[in-house]
Amino acid sequence: MGLLVLLLSQRWIAGLFDGHPALQAFATIFVAICVQAMPFLVLGVLISGAIAAFVPPAFWTRALPANTALAVPVAASAGALLPGCECASVPIAGGLVARGVAPSAALAFLLSAPAINPVVLVATSVAFPGRPMMVLARFVASLATAIVVGWLWARFGRAGWMKPSPRPDLSGMHRFDAFRTSVQHDFLSAGGYLVVGGLTAAALNVLVPREWLQAVAGHAVFSVLFMAGLAVILAICSEADAFVAASLTQFSLTSRLTFLVVGPTVDVKLIAMQTGAFGRSFAMRFAPMTFVTAILVSVAVGAWLL
Amino acid sequence: MQSVLLVLLGGALLRLSLSGAYQNYVKPGLGVYLTLSGAILAVLGVWGAVRSGQPAEASEHEDDGHGHGPGGTRAAWLLLLPVLTVFLIAPPPLGAFAADRTRSSIPPPADSAAALPVLPKPDPVDIGVVDFALRAVWDDGKTLAGRTVRMVGFVTPAPGGGWYLTKMQISCCAADAQPFRIRTIGAPAFATDTWVEVVGSWVPGGGTQRDDAIPNVKVATVVQVRRPTNPYE
Repeated sequence: MGLLVLLLSQRWIAGLFDGHPALQAFATIFVAICVQAMPFLVLGVLISGAIAAFVPPAFWTRALPANTALAVPVAASAGALLPGCECASVPIAGGLVARGVAPSAALAFLLSAPAINPVVLVATSVAFPGRPMMVLARFVASLATAIVVGWLWARFGRAGWMKPSPRPDLSGMHRFDAFRTSVQHDFLSAGGYLVVGGLTAAALNVLVPREWLQAVAGHAVFSVLFMAGLAVILAICSEADAFVAASLTQFSLTSRLTFLVVGPTVDVKLIAMQTGAFGRSFAMRFAPMTFVTAILVSVAVGAWLL
Repeated sequence: MQSVLLVLLGGALLRLSLSGAYQNYVKPGLGVYLTLSGAILAVLGVWGAVRSGQPAEASEHEDDGHGHGPGGTRAAWLLLLPVLTVFLIAPPPLGAFAADRTRSSIPPPADSAAALPVLPKPDPVDIGVVDFALRAVWDDGKTLAGRTVRMVGFVTPAPGGGWYLTKMQISCCAADAQPFRIRTIGAPAFATDTWVEVVGSWVPGGGTQRDDAIPNVKVATVVQVRRPTNPYE
């Protein structure tokens, strides 16, 4: 019945958007962000479901060093193995924490995976032809950010800040049922928050005037901060952000590096998804800490390599 | 209950990818992965519905299905928003509004030392707006001079009258779209956002070796056309 009403009112609803190009662009970008994320989200929840159902928790205690200070860089480097973007790594990190992996190590993986995998690095080299140092700088700065934030979390993080979303109890289930239950739960919960992030990013994309770009481009400090902020509000997939950074030629290379390092670790879509996976009190602390670390590391690496 | 959500979402992805409409939002290369994701979600949804239909499972699923804690699965119902947007509004690809918000930026070609390949004969040769702009600006129009080209794009108003033939380039999805503009010379007026096919030839004067240059095309004929399945480059 409800469906019938919706179908009958389709013309009327579509008509509301006609003649409002800003509203249409908003809807287009919102759908684009959601559609674009789906294959990566599905890949991520399949992997996290497989981890939950088929990998015994004892595996992680053997695979990762018991010493957290060592486990963080190992987990961060393992991020290079996951060819995806940030939508895939959030559910995987959630699954790792649920399986008893040290949160700081899982978070290091969460931050590094979308930024240092081969697909993203190749995309970066294509976007910045003739500038191989940009690829190296991105790899070094992103890996360093992930490790530093992991260590900071290991040292200063409190267990109470992280409230992983209640997960279905898989004990006693047949393994394939456990897999299905876990995949469905992870997909639906991450997907809901992806929609929140997509709405925010699409709104900001349409509302923030681009003239602001010109105004700050020439200023060394402001341009870095501005590009960091732009990465947060645009929430572009890490496999595409290099092309956008390459087109912003009025900005310095270091400020564009900051854009590439901040984007895959902190943006409105990710903050929403992290809130969903680990709770609000976690995201409120983790996102600003990562943001500041990413900027400082990018400026340092930019001064050294670019 | 939330299994229905998976089936709906899977169905929406399958419909978008199989009809080709997904190209209004993301790169064509993503199509096969969207079909795959849609099929996986639909199968998961059906599988879940079948399992939770069994009496032994039903009570257990009611418990964890509607979580009340922070980040509970109630947020999942938000996934209906993109599904409804796709089916009810079917937003069109980005057009003049989005293009006008961003300045032109034509990046230099990947390998600036290599000569650009000569355009195939005979004239008029079909060429993308991005390719045309690249050849005009970063190769000083060498491979365009004396040739007649045919391009498809949409109309955006040019400051001071006339219009640009415009196309958006996307790397992944519409959120990262960048406009490419070509100034049309000697063309009749068209409404903004009209899709047109232009036959014409490159004329110098738009500037070269600068990423903010806007090349010129002297228009011989221009006709309105249907929007292409892939509206981006």
